[in-house]
Amino acid sequence: MTDVRAPESDPFDPAAERDDPPRPGPGSPGGGAFGLADWLKWAWRQLTSMRIALILLFLLAVGTVPGSILPQQGADPAAVQQYYVSHPGLAPWLNRLGLFNVFAAPWFAAIYLLLFASLIGCVVPRTFRLAGSTRSLPPRAPRNLSRLPRSAEYVTTLPPAAAAAVAAKVLSGHGFRLRRPAAGEDAGATGETGPGNGHWVSAEKGYLREAGNLLFHLALLGLLVSVALGGLFGYKADRLLVQGQTFADTTSALDEFHPGRFVTGADLARFTMTLNQFTASYISTGQQRGQPSAFDARVTYTEQPGGPARTGHLAVNRPLSVDGAKVYLIGHGYAPVFKVTDARGQVVYDQATPFVAGATGNFLSEGVVKVPDAQPDQLGFTGVFVPTAANVGGTLESVFPAADNPVVSLIGYAGNLGENAGPAQSVYELDTAGMKRLTASPQALAPGQSLKLPGDRGTITFTGYVPWVSLAITHDPGQLPALICGMAALGGLLLSFMVRRRRVFVRARASQPGAGENGTTVQVGGLARTDASGSFEAEFAALAAELKSAHEQAAPGEPAVSPQPEGE
Amino acid sequence: MLRALPVRTRRRTAVLAAAVLAGVLVVVLVTAWPGGGSGNTTTVDGNPSAVLYTAGHRPLAPGFTGTTLTGSQLSSSSYRGHVVVLNFWGSWCVPCREEATTLAAVAGRYRPAGVSFLGVDVRDTTASAQAFVNQFHVGYPSVGDASSVITADFSDVVPIAGTPTTLVIDRTGHIAGAVFGTVTYSDLTAILAKVTAKGG
Repeated sequence: MTDVRAPESDPFDPAAERDDPPRPGPGSPGGGAFGLADWLKWAWRQLTSMRIALILLFLLAVGTVPGSILPQQGADPAAVQQYYVSHPGLAPWLNRLGLFNVFAAPWFAAIYLLLFASLIGCVVPRTFRLAGSTRSLPPRAPRNLSRLPRSAEYVTTLPPAAAAAVAAKVLSGHGFRLRRPAAGEDAGATGETGPGNGHWVSAEKGYLREAGNLLFHLALLGLLVSVALGGLFGYKADRLLVQGQTFADTTSALDEFHPGRFVTGADLARFTMTLNQFTASYISTGQQRGQPSAFDARVTYTEQPGGPARTGHLAVNRPLSVDGAKVYLIGHGYAPVFKVTDARGQVVYDQATPFVAGATGNFLSEGVVKVPDAQPDQLGFTGVFVPTAANVGGTLESVFPAADNPVVSLIGYAGNLGENAGPAQSVYELDTAGMKRLTASPQALAPGQSLKLPGDRGTITFTGYVPWVSLAITHDPGQLPALICGMAALGGLLLSFMVRRRRVFVRARASQPGAGENGTTVQVGGLARTDASGSFEAEFAALAAELKSAHEQAAPGEPAVSPQPEGE
Repeated sequence: MLRALPVRTRRRTAVLAAAVLAGVLVVVLVTAWPGGGSGNTTTVDGNPSAVLYTAGHRPLAPGFTGTTLTGSQLSSSSYRGHVVVLNFWGSWCVPCREEATTLAAVAGRYRPAGVSFLGVDVRDTTASAQAFVNQFHVGYPSVGDASSVITADFSDVVPIAGTPTTLVIDRTGHIAGAVFGTVTYSDLTAILAKVTAKGG
């Protein structure tokens, strides 16, 4: 978006000024009717103006703000529900504005697409113009080079034609694009009088500046396309995996699945993954005591159904690439294993139950056990898992995140879980509305201990615990293009900041009579477009010195180069 | 960003503008277009979650083997030549509880017609699943699919988003009908009437 072009008069782009038509606007006087075509042209010109592009970019940034302030349907639907409950008047209006799903809202797409169109409308004509400017030659050398911002003058014994040839060689050696007088352009043809007036060299350098600018715009466009690619063809999914469990990457095995617009469950990578072992290490001494030092999840996976089993490691920020998807380790916790026997003596529940760590630290984790098929009544338990339990003033607290002294504290309920009808419930919440609390106070159990439920309702046994990990499975086809485009944008920006478009002219004239028989006055002039750093001054001085010494070297004995100008 | 253009490029700009606007329009239309909509299925009673696959477009059901809740081995190949109702369920799944009695009723009604019912118990444990089976008096076997591997194989041919999903497989092992979500007695019997009919 950075427009490094000089805003007004631009000596490097005379064509643009010459042909500049007056900008028509709705209010422009004269010209009669302002038709539909004119309106469209006006709208297009407005859209592709830098001001509008910047406003759109700003709007895009502002548009993402509600996405981070308000709960989003895609990221946390439960929080949106909660918002409806707590703000019953406001929430429907926010929903109408799409503020609970900002990135899918029509107005967000409108900003996005307009910015897109604006960038295209800016870049395409610019590309044509750059292509044109790389084909066109530098302008002819001005007559009086001493009027230029930088100039130098010296005398050489070389004849003017040879001096110009030497200068051309030096300048082309520095990567300048050259223009020499054409055959008919020699003295007289251009109205310049005097012997040898036609011996000049015009040199230009720094086309990379505009190229860098273009690269920046193109890369920005590419960045938008990449993000769109990711949104349309990518997906993100979450899965909680208990140690020892296997899951196949299919919709029904995922806890959360956020597909892009063109993605269905059939597009998921078809891998299976088993969590063999998860270890979390913690610092056990000093100030950092209890801080995690390392996580390691050892997994076995197959990339295709029936494919060979491979082993791999997952750690935080060290994802595993499987069949085009990336699997990240994003969380972990403890899953105490419970075995529940009902009143009839049947084992109605025997499984590891993931508990989630609360905010209190040291992995004090909460969870729920639901036993819907226990007889005679459904059973439910709310529990707290304490990895390293210590009795602090009569209450159980966790003093270390590793499971050094695990204890589970349970409150039992019997009655109706509310699950035989109605909406799906969270597995981490127990609706106790239709249930009777079985014990007045929480019952603490160590591994292997059982709790007999009052009223002969059966027993619950805390048989042990296993760790679980939560995995994020992402596929973003726009990730690599976005990285490349981001780097290209940076490169383009650097080029357009660091490269200056600059011109150097050399004119060799036979010196005024009396100055010497073979004397030739060499005038060197230069100008740079933007030269904030002032480095062109140094570059010009070095060039002028080099030209002078080249002329001096060529001057004695035989001329180093042919006195004839090299063919154009 | 774009300074007023030379006259000679104005027409080109207009053409470009039209092209870009057309492109944007196409993108908007494509993204706004409702997905899905294949011509291979017809709905049962206009209910889009209960479908019949038209003859010739029935996907071949993937074969599978597994362990039943009672510990015996089961292979899908032993069902060849029978119409099979394959129900993906889990004891943790609330709508599966709602449809359990319906399934039991339809299974009883179609047993004389030679229709076999088979459960695929997804993301479950044997203890909980067996308690469910006892609770709802499920009279047909279920294969354990704790890892969802069987479900994933089926998801390659029919869009199984989760449980419950019920597939009706014809005598040749092709998927002839499907109910995505809770089955109703009328939908499932309508599908079975078609599939068990002569030549179905």
